[in-house]
Amino acid sequence: MFQKAMTCTRVALAIAVFSTAALAQGNRPDFSGVWTTYRAPGAPQGRGGGGGAAAQPALPYTPLAQRKIDEYQALVRPTGETPGGYCLGTGMPGSMLGSGGYPMEIIQRPDQITIIYEAHSEIRRVYFGSRVIPVADRLPERNGYSVGRWEGNTLVVETAQLNEIVSQRFAHSDQARIVERYTLSEENGQKVLTAEMTMTDPAFYKTPVSETKKWSMVPNGFLMTYECNEPIWQKRIEELKKAAAPAAK
Amino acid sequence: MRSVRIAMAGMLLLVMASATTFGHHSAAAQDFNKRVEVEGVIKFWEIANPHGRVVLRVTDQKGTRDIEFETHSRNNVYRAGYRDGMVKAGDKVKISIAPNRDGSDGGYVTGFVTAKGEKVGMGN
Repeated sequence: MFQKAMTCTRVALAIAVFSTAALAQGNRPDFSGVWTTYRAPGAPQGRGGGGGAAAQPALPYTPLAQRKIDEYQALVRPTGETPGGYCLGTGMPGSMLGSGGYPMEIIQRPDQITIIYEAHSEIRRVYFGSRVIPVADRLPERNGYSVGRWEGNTLVVETAQLNEIVSQRFAHSDQARIVERYTLSEENGQKVLTAEMTMTDPAFYKTPVSETKKWSMVPNGFLMTYECNEPIWQKRIEELKKAAAPAAK
Repeated sequence: MRSVRIAMAGMLLLVMASATTFGHHSAAAQDFNKRVEVEGVIKFWEIANPHGRVVLRVTDQKGTRDIEFETHSRNNVYRAGYRDGMVKAGDKVKISIAPNRDGSDGGYVTGFVTAKGEKVGMGN
């Protein structure tokens, strides 16, 4: 009996060690593929994505944040202009929260995960291990600099070095830090990717703010190139042609 | 046709989802809970990102005039089944729009039917 118990213990231990080793060797959940906003079967056709017009709870902005947002809104409200109208992507965390309802593609390799959001072709690169560069060398931008790590089967991404953005729901200062936790599951026959986001930004928020976004896999899906500047360039060429016309005569 | 209808439904969802986020202007000026159909002759037709622009010559009780409409992005219109060359200036077209809240001419195109009966974006 004792020997049998010991054998079982050894087998269990071996499995545990093997599993840990497999994870350590990069046998991680594979997030690769094209994903679109998750919608439960039979769910009413409502607003999805990250930019819906449905009423949303107020966020705990600091007075500083509220003032900056109000000033921005006073500028753009009369014309209704948006960054997207100028071919500018949403930036984090709006990009990871739905990217305007457009799909996204994830390309995964052990040392880097690349996320492409179709809208405005926003791209994020999540670096691991030796690919991570010193903070002083990171270039601040709208999607920040992202570092990834694995906690079991959960992908944890920490993002900082963000530009201040007041044009999205989760406005933030350049001091914001965002933690995302990605997990895979199976729901109603669909492969589902759940992304939980928590943003900490004492300059803009009295308390951390959180949001969850669910994506479903699009089998054999693909993204389209989001070319936004070509019409502007074509119009400029037409202007140059008109300007050159009198000189040619 | 079934795949086109599915694509249309997808496009409508995308319109609902993202119209308020992407574009030269926010969609606050349009009422996406309403749909109005407008028939006219194409004067200008540009499907582009971030938004397209359509000008139709429309004749109705108010008379004949050119009305400008905004469309969703080229990506989403393509995903809904649109292809270059499907329509051209001078063609008749029937569009479905989310009308301007203030009642003025124009709105946001959520789908259309070409003179040949090809449908993009509309449910039926």
